[in-house]
Amino acid sequence: MGTQMSNLDRQDRLLGYIFISPQVIGYLIFVLYPLIAIMVFSLQDYNLLSGVREWIGFENYQTMFSENSLFLKTLKNSLVFTAGLVPLNVILALFLANLLTKPIKGVTAFRVLVFAPVITSAVAWAIVWKFMLDGENGIINQLLALVNITGPNWLRSPTWAMVSIIVVRVLKNVGLNVVLFTAALMSVPPQFAESASIDGANSRQVFFRITLPQIMPSVMMVLIVTLIGSLKVFDHIMVLTAGGPGNSTMVLVYYIYYQAFQFSEPGSASGGAVVLFLVALFLTLLQWNFRKRMSYQET
Amino acid sequence: MRILKGLLICVFLFSAVFFTFANGSQESSGETAENEPVKLRFTVWSGNPDHLATLNGIADSYREDHPNVEIAFDTIPFSEYVTKLTLQLSGSNPPDGGWLLETSAPTFIDSGVLAEVGSHIKSIEEYDYADFSDPAMELWKQGDGLYGIPFSTSPFVMFYNEDLFRQAGVPTPPEAIENGNWTWENFAESARAIKEETGKYAFQTFNGAGYDARLFHTIVPILRAYGVDMWNEEGELQLSTPEADEALSLYHAMIFDDKTVEPPGTQADFFIGDAATTISQISRVPKLSDADFEWDIAPLPAGPAGRPWVIGQAAFAVFRASKHPEVAKDFLAHLTNKENVAKLAQFFPPARVSVIESKAFVEANPGLTSDQMEIVQQGIKNGTVLPSHVNFPKISMEARGAFDSLWQADADVKATLKDINKQLKPLVETD
Amino acid sequence: MKHNKITHGVIYIILCTVGILFLFPFLWMILGSFKTSVEIFDLSVLIPKVWRWENFIEAFLYQPFARQYLNSIYIALFVSFGTLSVGALAGYAFARMNFPGRSILFIFILSGLMIPVEAAIIPNFFLMSRLNLINTHIPLIIIPIFGARGAIGTFIMRQHFLSLPKEFEESARLDGLGRFGMFVRIMLPLATPAISSVVILSSFYSWNNFLEPLVYINDIKLFTLPLALNNFTTSYGLPMWNVQLAATTLSVVPILILFIAAQQLVTQSMTMSGVKG
Repeated sequence: MGTQMSNLDRQDRLLGYIFISPQVIGYLIFVLYPLIAIMVFSLQDYNLLSGVREWIGFENYQTMFSENSLFLKTLKNSLVFTAGLVPLNVILALFLANLLTKPIKGVTAFRVLVFAPVITSAVAWAIVWKFMLDGENGIINQLLALVNITGPNWLRSPTWAMVSIIVVRVLKNVGLNVVLFTAALMSVPPQFAESASIDGANSRQVFFRITLPQIMPSVMMVLIVTLIGSLKVFDHIMVLTAGGPGNSTMVLVYYIYYQAFQFSEPGSASGGAVVLFLVALFLTLLQWNFRKRMSYQET
Repeated sequence: MRILKGLLICVFLFSAVFFTFANGSQESSGETAENEPVKLRFTVWSGNPDHLATLNGIADSYREDHPNVEIAFDTIPFSEYVTKLTLQLSGSNPPDGGWLLETSAPTFIDSGVLAEVGSHIKSIEEYDYADFSDPAMELWKQGDGLYGIPFSTSPFVMFYNEDLFRQAGVPTPPEAIENGNWTWENFAESARAIKEETGKYAFQTFNGAGYDARLFHTIVPILRAYGVDMWNEEGELQLSTPEADEALSLYHAMIFDDKTVEPPGTQADFFIGDAATTISQISRVPKLSDADFEWDIAPLPAGPAGRPWVIGQAAFAVFRASKHPEVAKDFLAHLTNKENVAKLAQFFPPARVSVIESKAFVEANPGLTSDQMEIVQQGIKNGTVLPSHVNFPKISMEARGAFDSLWQADADVKATLKDINKQLKPLVETD
Repeated sequence: MKHNKITHGVIYIILCTVGILFLFPFLWMILGSFKTSVEIFDLSVLIPKVWRWENFIEAFLYQPFARQYLNSIYIALFVSFGTLSVGALAGYAFARMNFPGRSILFIFILSGLMIPVEAAIIPNFFLMSRLNLINTHIPLIIIPIFGARGAIGTFIMRQHFLSLPKEFEESARLDGLGRFGMFVRIMLPLATPAISSVVILSSFYSWNNFLEPLVYINDIKLFTLPLALNNFTTSYGLPMWNVQLAATTLSVVPILILFIAAQQLVTQSMTMSGVKG
């Protein structure tokens, strides 16, 4: 027994490295190297055309954070987007999940319906909404006209463009959170709710005072995951507004793309990438922290 | 711990290796042996089959004397031409040459990515370099070197749909010119009538892209009619001047109050009869070969500062990053010799004086009458090119976003122009 | 909770209203693919007067749509197979094999999940450019497999392998199998749920990927579906709205059908990714 074990262990030492080498090497090339690279690029002025790269220290960051800069506007837009999307998404998901736990006929059909946008490509979803939100001819405005409301030019108005994108994205992704919440709600033991309602509590009180606190860990998880996801929005922006009008929908990832590939400024684009990475890092660490706490709770 | 150290060392070695190789475009030695098979790639922004057919024909004729050389023309859409070209030049498979716009000439010349072509072409006997008009070559020279050869010096003209004008009962541009009435103000009035009587938009922005890729092409004609340009000779932005205010207020009113110009997000193609006029260049004439309406071209409307003549210029250039710069330069010379310039002249008014003044030129274009070609000649003679700038690619990108606030129905034109001026200032007024 | 008819009714009404919000875009898209461009925007014409199947044909004529569709399919296949292979190997090693630095390396890999792919796009682009791989499909295959997203495969497989009892391997060893044999003959077949999750997640990711194809691909023949769909807008000429909708329908409906058929599997996989991040 002893020799067999150590044989295997010896084998494992080498084999282990071989097994993980594709993943690790790939990681080094496509994850670690880019990470270091964006930090390096962000400290340089890289003229794509002439190929000249100069070290300029923190100048890129200074410009990015200077008054009225495009980057500050981007940060503000990203903040608005996240602040608008996350509550809307999570509250809607909670609401729908709650409804869908009731034993009514056709629940599966509704579940499928709500989840369908999740699996469609963001580009396809955005294209359809682009038509529907068209200022002159879009069906949304035509329907509004039926009740005598003149809808704005949704995607071309600096105020409404962001709202439209938020709504489109919420509708696309809420299904995922609905499923997560449904799982959480299903795992709540029904006794507490039942005894509360026997004691005379109405359904709203039961939900807010009994059910919600019990699924709070899931809610926090979903909040953070949705938050992190909202940082990465790109496809919708590209198709619906291309960052416009007047940069009112320019958000982090779009900024990176725009600066590097349309404005030909990889240096400042990398600065944006570094900020994105730091924010994502912070939020992901938060998320992992929560997950640890959740698993403690479960045990 | 040792493993960690080992990994970190690997990472640093990695980074060092990558960064030494990640320097910008490298120059090649440029020596090509005779008869070695050569593949050249030229980038263009036209996808027009007639244009490409002519270009490919010229490539074939070069092949007759140089059977080892294969030339391909790659189309990159206009709206992303400069950015995509920039990216390609920074990569390891750059094009050998391509079209360049006058507006970004300074950018490309300054950055050193263009190969000097003057010495090569002047060494060719039959080339007749002196045949090129001096003003046309201005933009493409730096110091003693020549970095591009203009193939198109094409004035902006107003295409108009005669049928729609008749239907609305308003004078056509030539008639208005005779009465001394072809101004933007009068045009705005006729436009209202056209919209009312025919229901079609009276004016389509340049290529329908007047709110993004062709912003400058659309507003510079109006600005110049009112006496200003985007920036003056000293490089100062002119958008917050009273003249710019007057010009763009009129235009804004046409779009949002009169609704005679297609608004952002709407399509109204002149070339299929959905708009009464558009400003464009004669290279688009082939699109009218199937037109079922009467059309003609006219000079641009005048303004308080007179009648502007705006020229769009494009040149052929060779890129230093090319793997075969000498062959590319030679092909460039072939492309721009007298014979081939005459061939391209049917779409692209040439910079060669002998061709412009030839009867052949006036008659070359199957789609245009000699009267129309005379308008073109007039434009070339009297016109000035679109404003160029060493930062042009960035300015044009930034301008698209900046002007968005002007293209709102309730915009206060004067205040918005001030803001736009402020926003573009740092890019334009650098020193 | 008392489930009386009134509560049921109210819930139904709410669900139906919400349901319409979700159903409507799909319906509109499908119906629109049969209309003329003008009819699309005409409120009075909800159902097309004439069912224009030509729109679908035009979608294939306007650009090499069939080829683009196939591009998306084969790239997704390569990505899912690649992610699975890399992830299964690495996941098994991290779960069962003992080698120095195992936990550190695993944390390393896991940290890759923290780095948004979007942040890495610029250096990756320059790298691909140096290697002359721009305008090929190679970046679209190897970066999802080996990059930040690939780590999910490793993570899921490792989770699964950890949950399997060790007896299987012990008896396999007694039968004389080496590690690799154990891996292939015993552990993999036992990992079907995890395998299906990895395959589903990575194929979805690849299929819907937009930023990377946008950046790496210039040649229209090499476009993937998202790029192709976005490309149905002409700068001028006849409006292509109905053709664009037809193409969109063509790309969405098959996935929907697949999804409805394999609902459970799909929702399970996606929620796993959602929770694990």
